[in-house]
Amino acid sequence: MTGRLDSFWVVFAREVRGAARSRTYLLLALALTLVVFGLAGAGDGPSAGYVPTVVDVLLVVEVLVPAVAFAVGYRAITDDAVRGTLDVLATYPLPPWAYVLGVYAGRAVALLSVVLVPLSLLGVVVAVSAAPATTVFATHRGVDSPLLFVRFLALTAGFALTALAIAIAISALADSRRRAILLALVGLLVVVVGADVTVLQALTGGHVDADFGTLLGVSPASAYRGLVFETVLYVAFSERAGFVAVPVAAAGLLAWSLAALLVATLAVGSRRA
Amino acid sequence: MTEQESYLRANEVDRTFGDVTALADVSVEIPGGSVVALIGPNGSGKTTLLRVLTGLLAPTDGDVTYEGPSAARPLGYLPQEPAFRPGYTTAETAAFYARLVDDDPAELLERVGLGSVPNRRVEALSGGMTRLLGIAQALAGDPPVLALDEPASGLDPVMSRRVFDILESLAADGHAVVVTSHDLPLVERSADLVVVLDRGSVVTADTPAALRDRTGGPLHETFTSLVEADDVVSVRTEATR
Repeated sequence: MTGRLDSFWVVFAREVRGAARSRTYLLLALALTLVVFGLAGAGDGPSAGYVPTVVDVLLVVEVLVPAVAFAVGYRAITDDAVRGTLDVLATYPLPPWAYVLGVYAGRAVALLSVVLVPLSLLGVVVAVSAAPATTVFATHRGVDSPLLFVRFLALTAGFALTALAIAIAISALADSRRRAILLALVGLLVVVVGADVTVLQALTGGHVDADFGTLLGVSPASAYRGLVFETVLYVAFSERAGFVAVPVAAAGLLAWSLAALLVATLAVGSRRA
Repeated sequence: MTEQESYLRANEVDRTFGDVTALADVSVEIPGGSVVALIGPNGSGKTTLLRVLTGLLAPTDGDVTYEGPSAARPLGYLPQEPAFRPGYTTAETAAFYARLVDDDPAELLERVGLGSVPNRRVEALSGGMTRLLGIAQALAGDPPVLALDEPASGLDPVMSRRVFDILESLAADGHAVVVTSHDLPLVERSADLVVVLDRGSVVTADTPAALRDRTGGPLHETFTSLVEADDVVSVRTEATR
């Protein structure tokens, strides 16, 4: 008999196979490549080093990565619901969590390919065009390093996966493709600016008794931005930056992801009697 | 039909959608080794009853119990309009469902007559072939109960007959088959038990022969005499219940 974990792999394999055949993902990767290379070229970051390159692309990556994540995930479950596939799958020994995780993991492979390949290529360009000092691995403040760029890639991957989890939750809640688009736009707005604005309002209004760095960790975009500043760009500052509480920011991204996947699982489960 | 043990039983099931009563006090038994046909006018509650029987819809009142043999997948389901993810072939689609229950996708396709088109993309299948692929999916894991929502809808007579032939052979193998249909001649030919629904209630349930004897004509005449034929769509609300 097929186990629950086996059923997860079946769904995962279907998603990966679908992604591998999709030209949309290829176009997304090409578009992202053009944008990040264009920005980095305009800022001349690659010739200066890894940290200047991250500075050049950070702002756009912060907006584009969630946008790509939403494009990859916003209809992932909605399409199955609209086709009646969810009803059919409810008659199989496939628990909602295995289905949701399978869809999420499969789409994550596609998303990470779309996001990380262009950024990794940018890193390669920095490696071949920047000054020799950038090839050393930083052991102290003020030294540029490929390790810092790898950290940037890892943080960007984490941010992308969080945005994807939110997109998957939205796709599980939407009962039509039109509603999926609307909810995705709202969700994207919340991830990119909405959460930041809410945090700032809470702070300025004095509604919350917490320090700025901790609260910023609650917003996905701020958490990502703060983590990049704290663990990548800190070499450019003479003192510890203190933009965000690193543990809170990391926990914030993880909590958003887990909560979103839980919502998606409950939504898929609630479609069954 | 010989006396068979029940595989699926609905007891005094009610199902409402807001003010609309889709099912009212419906009790049905689906025996193994038989084809049970749910017939009735549009809006009479056939699909709702089928979804309640398969567990896809919770009854507002009453209960549904599965009494068939233990199985990894007790119930197979064919929706009214089966659709599959585009970009995949027939074989890949069958493999996806088969792998969830450790079944052989090639054998599933052979059983429904799609063994010769394993590499055809699902979006290139005709309506009938899509429905056959849906039936193949419903058969995955060899579920003891098969619930099929209008499996012959929109098909030409030859294809319709082929679908019902498959249902008959499944019942002959011991499966309990419950099917909704508007194709009364095929129902009359294939079903062991016919459940007539009207406005969410069971008007009568009997063998096709017994129903035919009521009017002395074909099942169609019995059907029109049993339901309120002047209504295009029969809907019952709380006010008219």
